[in-house]
Amino acid sequence: MFSASMKVRRASVPAALLTLVLACGAAAAAACQEGSLGAYLPGGASVSGWARDGGPQEYEGENLYTYIDGGADIYQEYGFTRVVIQDYKSAAGKSASLEIFEMSTPAAAFGMFSFKRSGSGKAVQLGFEAELESYYLNFWKGRFLVTLTGFDDARETVDGLLAIGAAVAAKLPGDGREPALVGALPADGLKPGSVKYIKGLLGLNNLYPFYTARGLSFTEAVRGLYDDGTTLLLLDYGSAGSRQEAWSELRAFLEGSERFARVGMEQTEHVLFQDGKGRFVAFGEAETRLIVGVASSATAALLIVSRAP
Amino acid sequence: MARKIGRREFFKTSAQAGLTLALGTGLAAATRAAAPKAKASIVAVGIGGDYEQAAMKAVSLLGGMKKFVPKNARVALLPNVQSRHPGSFTKPQILRAVIRMCKKAGAKEVNCLSWQTVKQWEDTGLKAVIDAEGAGLKIFEKDEALFKPVPIPGGQALMEARILAEFFGHDLLINMPITKDHAGNKFTGTMKNLMGLNSPVNNRTFHRPNWKTDPNDVAHLEQSIVDLNKAVKPVLNVVDATEIIVTNGPFGPGQLMRPEKVVAGTDRVAIDAYCAGLWGLDPKDVIQIKKGAEQGLGQMDLTRVHFREDYA
Repeated sequence: MFSASMKVRRASVPAALLTLVLACGAAAAAACQEGSLGAYLPGGASVSGWARDGGPQEYEGENLYTYIDGGADIYQEYGFTRVVIQDYKSAAGKSASLEIFEMSTPAAAFGMFSFKRSGSGKAVQLGFEAELESYYLNFWKGRFLVTLTGFDDARETVDGLLAIGAAVAAKLPGDGREPALVGALPADGLKPGSVKYIKGLLGLNNLYPFYTARGLSFTEAVRGLYDDGTTLLLLDYGSAGSRQEAWSELRAFLEGSERFARVGMEQTEHVLFQDGKGRFVAFGEAETRLIVGVASSATAALLIVSRAP
Repeated sequence: MARKIGRREFFKTSAQAGLTLALGTGLAAATRAAAPKAKASIVAVGIGGDYEQAAMKAVSLLGGMKKFVPKNARVALLPNVQSRHPGSFTKPQILRAVIRMCKKAGAKEVNCLSWQTVKQWEDTGLKAVIDAEGAGLKIFEKDEALFKPVPIPGGQALMEARILAEFFGHDLLINMPITKDHAGNKFTGTMKNLMGLNSPVNNRTFHRPNWKTDPNDVAHLEQSIVDLNKAVKPVLNVVDATEIIVTNGPFGPGQLMRPEKVVAGTDRVAIDAYCAGLWGLDPKDVIQIKKGAEQGLGQMDLTRVHFREDYA
């Protein structure tokens, strides 16, 4: 498709372009609050050198499956409302695809953004948070998640993604912030871009599968990776009673599972298991939350759990 | 002038070559009766940045396309056109190689069958290759009347598949997936790709309400895929493992990995187990691979598989 040796060179947005799109942004945001998502699509001369290629497609609710056959479920789990897709073409024949997902809440938009980002891309100034990978760009703002995909990683293509993204960001309304649970991850040693906000079991299974649904009826969760190689998961159940009940059920499953072995650590208040891949998994409880630490050593797993608030 | 072979003779030839194409109980039984004693699976891997050459190398390592495609055969191809994002669809170069190899082997007709949209075939560049190579693209509406019921003896979750009726006008199937990440079961390969030949309505029965989260529902989906693979048996699988998404699958965009390999063979379980390992998955953790092996579809233990690898 394209060479692995090609690198993204620059991640800046021309200042003149930003000025232009910011000037028309507020009015457009108000206009599309209840109307078609198509109003957020840059068109005409708003992105220099790039023009719409064909018409937009829109999908709502369950119809997302028509567009993303096999991949729509994760959007639904976070809370999907609708999406508009528009292709763009540059004067030099480069192509880009723009997807604007309207999610049910800002937390859902952030969650889906966090799910899709790799954490190894380049942070750029777009919307509330943006990450540029070699050939695609994700950002979120308010209830919206925006994905721009180029079909190569040439400089002109990547600059086009950034320019189109800036034009969209300027039009989108911008209420909302990261869910509070994200702030509960200890900041010291937390890898930037590694935070994943989770709304259901599908998201969790993609990060750390327990191979069960028992006891995993959390209302929200967050995962962070740390510099020392440990992983911390905070699962929030909404109430201490729900957390207690869920933990009891999950613990019973783990103790009976062939994939997990209980490790005796009498001197600690936490419960420790070892999974089928040899990783140590420590569990702690705090009010509404179940705290899970995963590490290559028992000590590290217990330590990361004890660091959680 | 080339000798035209009848369907009966064709199937006999295929079975003697240790190949299987089985649709429907009668044909399946005939194939089983004629099949030689099981031999160790062979998986061939063509390596290189020229994906067309890598595909040709992989098939040549298996003995060449003539081993799979008899003269005058009508060949059905099933590439993946799920999305046009890089690393999420079968590369046009690989399709071109397979079409050319089929024609060189003497195929009378080579057609891609699909219920996906023409736009998807155009956007992925696959239609351009089909047109340029003089192959056929047969696209069908998602109309149940266009699918034929196929009972699945031994089916545990799926008792009946519904296969594109047009497929039965072909002599054999070459399965051409791209291996990639999947947000549900973490893996897509040869076995899951066959859902592209089954009716969308029937495919939906694979999916119980919590098909990606409840372990029982997940098991139902994976078993349904395995059952479908009991009904539809490609004579050859040519898998795109050249440039693949390993996150945000199956649709992408996601992180790209470039093994630059084309993997070919007849044992779907062995091929999928090998491909899963390309990005660090343990085949035992991919339920459809594990179930496929347990239910006799192929070999998951790669120490028991003969690999033939070479650079194109």
